[in-house]
Amino acid sequence: MATLSDILQAEDITSLQHLQLFARTVVEGFTTGHHASPHKGFSVEFRQHRPYVQGDEIRRLDWKIFGRTDRFYIREFDEETNLRATIVLDASGSMNYRGQKGVLKFDYARKLAASLAYLLMSQQDAVGLVTFDSKVRDIIPCRTKISHLHLMLEAMVRATPGKDTSLAPVIESLAQRLKRRGLVILISDFFDDPAALLQSIGVLRKKGHEVIALQLWDRDEIDFPFGNWARFENLENDDDFLLLDPATIRQRYLEVQKKFAEQLKDGFRKHQVDYLSLPTDESHSAALRSYLALRMR
Amino acid sequence: MTFLNAILLAGAAAFLIPLIIHLLNKRKVITMRWGAMHLLHEVIRQRKRKMKIEQLLLLITRIAIPIVLALCLARPVLTALQSLGLGSSSLIVMLDDSFSMRAPAAQTTLPGGTVMEQARQDMQTMLTDLPKGSSAQVILSGGSPRKLLDQATTALDLVPKKLSDVPSMSGPLSANDAFQSATSALKDAPNAAREVLIVSDFQEADWKAIADGAALPALENLAKQEPKPQITFYRVGSDLAENLSIASADISALVATESQPVGLRVRIKNHGKRPWQDVAVHLEADGARLRTARVSLAPEGEAVLSFTHAFDKVGDHSISVRLEGDSFADDNAFHSIVQVRNQLNVLLIEGNPGKDPLSGATDFLDIALTPHTTAAATLKDLIRTKKIDARKLREEDLRQQEVIILADVQRLQDRAMKDIDKMVKDGVGLLIFAGPECDLDWYNREFYRKGEGLYPSAIKGYARADSDATPARILMQRFTHPAALYFNDARGGRLQDAEFRHWFEFTTQGDKVQRIFNLDRNVPLMVEKKHGRGRVIAAATTANAEWSNLPLQPFFVPLMQRLTTYLATEGSAPAWQLVGTPIRLNIAKDLLNAEYTLRDPTGQTQKLTPRKEGENILLESPPIAQPGIFQLTRTGSDKPTFHAFNVDGTESNLKALSTADIQKIATRHEASFANNLQSYQKLDRTRRHGSELWQPLLIALLALLFFEVLLQQRIAKG
Repeated sequence: MATLSDILQAEDITSLQHLQLFARTVVEGFTTGHHASPHKGFSVEFRQHRPYVQGDEIRRLDWKIFGRTDRFYIREFDEETNLRATIVLDASGSMNYRGQKGVLKFDYARKLAASLAYLLMSQQDAVGLVTFDSKVRDIIPCRTKISHLHLMLEAMVRATPGKDTSLAPVIESLAQRLKRRGLVILISDFFDDPAALLQSIGVLRKKGHEVIALQLWDRDEIDFPFGNWARFENLENDDDFLLLDPATIRQRYLEVQKKFAEQLKDGFRKHQVDYLSLPTDESHSAALRSYLALRMR
Repeated sequence: MTFLNAILLAGAAAFLIPLIIHLLNKRKVITMRWGAMHLLHEVIRQRKRKMKIEQLLLLITRIAIPIVLALCLARPVLTALQSLGLGSSSLIVMLDDSFSMRAPAAQTTLPGGTVMEQARQDMQTMLTDLPKGSSAQVILSGGSPRKLLDQATTALDLVPKKLSDVPSMSGPLSANDAFQSATSALKDAPNAAREVLIVSDFQEADWKAIADGAALPALENLAKQEPKPQITFYRVGSDLAENLSIASADISALVATESQPVGLRVRIKNHGKRPWQDVAVHLEADGARLRTARVSLAPEGEAVLSFTHAFDKVGDHSISVRLEGDSFADDNAFHSIVQVRNQLNVLLIEGNPGKDPLSGATDFLDIALTPHTTAAATLKDLIRTKKIDARKLREEDLRQQEVIILADVQRLQDRAMKDIDKMVKDGVGLLIFAGPECDLDWYNREFYRKGEGLYPSAIKGYARADSDATPARILMQRFTHPAALYFNDARGGRLQDAEFRHWFEFTTQGDKVQRIFNLDRNVPLMVEKKHGRGRVIAAATTANAEWSNLPLQPFFVPLMQRLTTYLATEGSAPAWQLVGTPIRLNIAKDLLNAEYTLRDPTGQTQKLTPRKEGENILLESPPIAQPGIFQLTRTGSDKPTFHAFNVDGTESNLKALSTADIQKIATRHEASFANNLQSYQKLDRTRRHGSELWQPLLIALLALLFFEVLLQQRIAKG
C-alpha cells in the first residue's frame, strides 16, 4: 500500500502542514469550511435586506421589519461550504523529460499533486484525482477521508507517462463527469494545441468549475542551453526526430517558447483561470507558496 | 595574375580549419529525448530551408576568410588589367645627357659601363614595368633641352633603341629649362596618370644652387599641373671621384701669319682629393706631337701651362693639348683651329683725319692693328692697314679688303654704302666706331634703316657722364662672344679700367643683334649683327681717346686684333665649338649644289649637302657628338677646312650632390627620390596600388568578417 512518504519527503510534509489553501471564488457546498458560497440560505453570515418579490419563500421574510414598517423584506445570508477539488495530473509522454539537472518532469508533477492533495484534505476538503495521457486513465472521486489520500497516492505511483498528450478531449470528458461544481487543478506542461485546450477549459468554466492551471517547465525547455549538434527525438512519438545545431536556433526557440507560454497565459486569464508557470528546479513548497499568495490577493 | 609574395599563398590551406570544425561538429551529434517537440517544429517549420542556406553560407564564408587573407598577404598583381590598358600612364623622362654622364658607372651596378649606359639600362627596365598602353617621352636635358622623339610613343621598346644613339656629350644641365620642356611635353601626354622622372647624376655643378634653396619656378609650375604628375628624382651615380681635366684654354690669336708664334694658355684642373705628380701634357699640331710638359697638381688644385707654336704654311691648322694618366679621358684634351694667312687687309675709313699725331679717328686703331710695323720691329704683322678719308673714298679702295673699319664717319655716299653692303653680304667684316662727327639722323635713317640696313642698332642719341660723375665702365661678366672669350681671364687684360665719358645710346636690338660688351649703365658698348655672310660690329664709343681712355688701355691691342680677326674669319669656321652643336657655314651661292664630306676624329665620314636659307646658302651638319678635330672637304677640292670640338669644362667636376641634398630638393617640391632601381621599383609598386589587388582583397576580407558576424547573429536570432 502506497504511503505519502513514497512520494513526499519528510521536510516537504512538515513544510506543507502549515499551509492553508483558500479558494478565491465560492464553490458550491454544504459542509462548513472556509470557502465562501454565492448561494443564499439559512446560514449565520447575514448579507443584506431586499424587497420581497413574488415567488420568494415566505419563511425568508424578516418579520421584525414588517412589524416596524408594514413592508416585506427578505433577509439574505452567505453560507460556508466544503471544497470539492479535483487534481488532474498529466501523465503523457512529454512529462517523461528528464532535464540536465536530473529532475523528471512527471516526478515533480506527482509530488506537486500529492502536496496539494494533502493540504486540501488537511482542511477537511474533498479531493479527487484524475490521471490521463491521450485519454483518462484513472479517476478517483472526491472524498474527505484521510484514507482516501492513500488511494490517490497509489494511483499517482502507479501512473507512468508514455503516450502522447491529448488534453482537450480529456478536459471536455472531465467536464461531463464532474456533476457538482468544484475546483479543478490541472497539473501539466500543456504541450498541446493551445486553441483546443482553451476551448475545453471554457467548457469546464461554463459548468461552474473554478480552474487552476499549473504549467510545468523543465529549465532546459525554458533556456534551451544546448551547444553541440543534437538529434532531438520526440518523447511521445519515436518516429519524430530533428537533427540540428541548437545554437543556431536558440534565439528563435526562446521566442517561440515565450509566445506559447504567453498564449496560454492570455487564454487562461480570459477564462478567469489562475495560471502559474512552475520550473521544475524550484522547490514544491516555494511554488505553492507563490501560488497561494496570488490566490489570497 | 602574379603574386609578389607567392609563398604566403600556402596560408590559404587554413580554409580546412573551419571545414574540419564543421565536419567534426556534425560527427559529434548527441541524442536528446525531448518533450517540447511542437516548439522545435514551430521553429523549424518556417526556417528549415532558410537555415540550410544560411548554414551553407556561413560555412562558405568561414572557408573564404583564410583564403582571402592568404591572397591578400600574397599581394596579387592583376596583369590582366594591365593588358587591357587599365592603369596606363604617361611617363616623361628628363634624362641628363650632359658630358658627366659618360663617367664610369658604379662598380656595383654596371661594371665597365658608363653612367649613361646604366641610366639607359635602368630606364629600359622601368619602361618594361609600365602598364600596357602607357606612353613615354624623353627630354634630353643637357645643354639645350630637346625631345628624343617628335611625340610621346606607346611603342616603349623604341625608346631604348633611340637612346642608344644619344652620345651624352651635351653641356651642363639647365634644370629650369629642362623642367619647362617637361611641362610642355606633359601637355601632350595622352594618359591621365602622368609621371615625370628626372634621371641624372646630380652633378653638384648643376644642382648645388637648387639644393641650397634657389628657386626652380619651372618645377613648381610642373608640380601644379592638373592632373598632378608624380615626380621622381632618380640618381644614377659614378664611383669616380678623381678626375683631371683641361678646364679652359685660351689661344692668343684666331688668325696668325706664317712663322708668327701663337700662344696657347691651358688651365688644368684636379677635381679629386689626391695630388698628382708629373702629369704629362702634350702639345700637338696638325695631329703630330710637338712637345710634352709636366705638371703637378694639388688636391682640387689647378695649374696653368703656356705653349707657343708658329705654323709655317698658310692655311687651316689644328692645335691640341692633351694630358695623360686620367681614367675619365674625354675631357683630357683641348682642340682648336688656327688660321694662318699671308696677310689680312683692313681698310680704315676715318671721318675726321687729325692733323696732330694720334688725333685722327683711326690713329690708335692703326697702331693697335699693326704694332710691329709701327714699331719698325722685325716681326711681321698679320694685318695690313690702309687708311683713307671718308670723303675721298673710291670704289677701288674697297677692293681686296677683308675688314672695313669706319671711325667717326659723318655719313657714307650712297654708292659707297651700296658697295660696302654688298661686300659684307659676301663675307667681309665691318666694324663701325662712333664719334662726334656722326650724323645721327643719317645713321638711323639710312644706315640702320629699321633693321634692314648695315648698322646693327638704332641710336637714341648721345649719352654722357658729367665731369663730376663717375665715368661708365665695361660691365664685367662672363663673356660669351668668341672675340671676347680671351678676356674672361684677368690675364687677358683689365677691361674695367677703361673709362667712358661719351657714348651712343643704342636703343633697339632685335633677336639678330648680339651684345658683345655692356657698360655698367646697362647699355651696350658693342653690338653685333649678321648681315648676309658677313658681320657688322658697332661700337658706341670712339676709336680714339676723344670719348674714352679705351685706346690707352693695354688690352686695346688684343681687343682690336681679336675683333678684326674675328670679323675677317667669319666666313670660315670658329676656332672651336662645344660638342652638341652642329657645324654651320655660310657658303658662296655658286656652291649650292656642291657636296661635302665630313670626317670625324675616328675616320668615319658622312656626306653633307648645302641648302638655301633665305638669301644665304647654308651648310649644316648634325650636332657633333664627340670632341676632336673634324675635317670638311668639298668634293673636287683638295683644301679641307678644319673644325675643332671640345666638351664643356664645367662638366668635368664629377662631384655629385649628397643623397640628403637630393632628398631635400625632392621633398621641397613634393617629389619622390629613388637612389637605385630597386627603390624606384618599390616606389613604383607603391604608387600603382590600383594594379595590385591587395586593397580590394582587404576590403573583401573585412566584408567577409563583417558578414560572418552578421550571419551568425542572424542565425542565432533564428
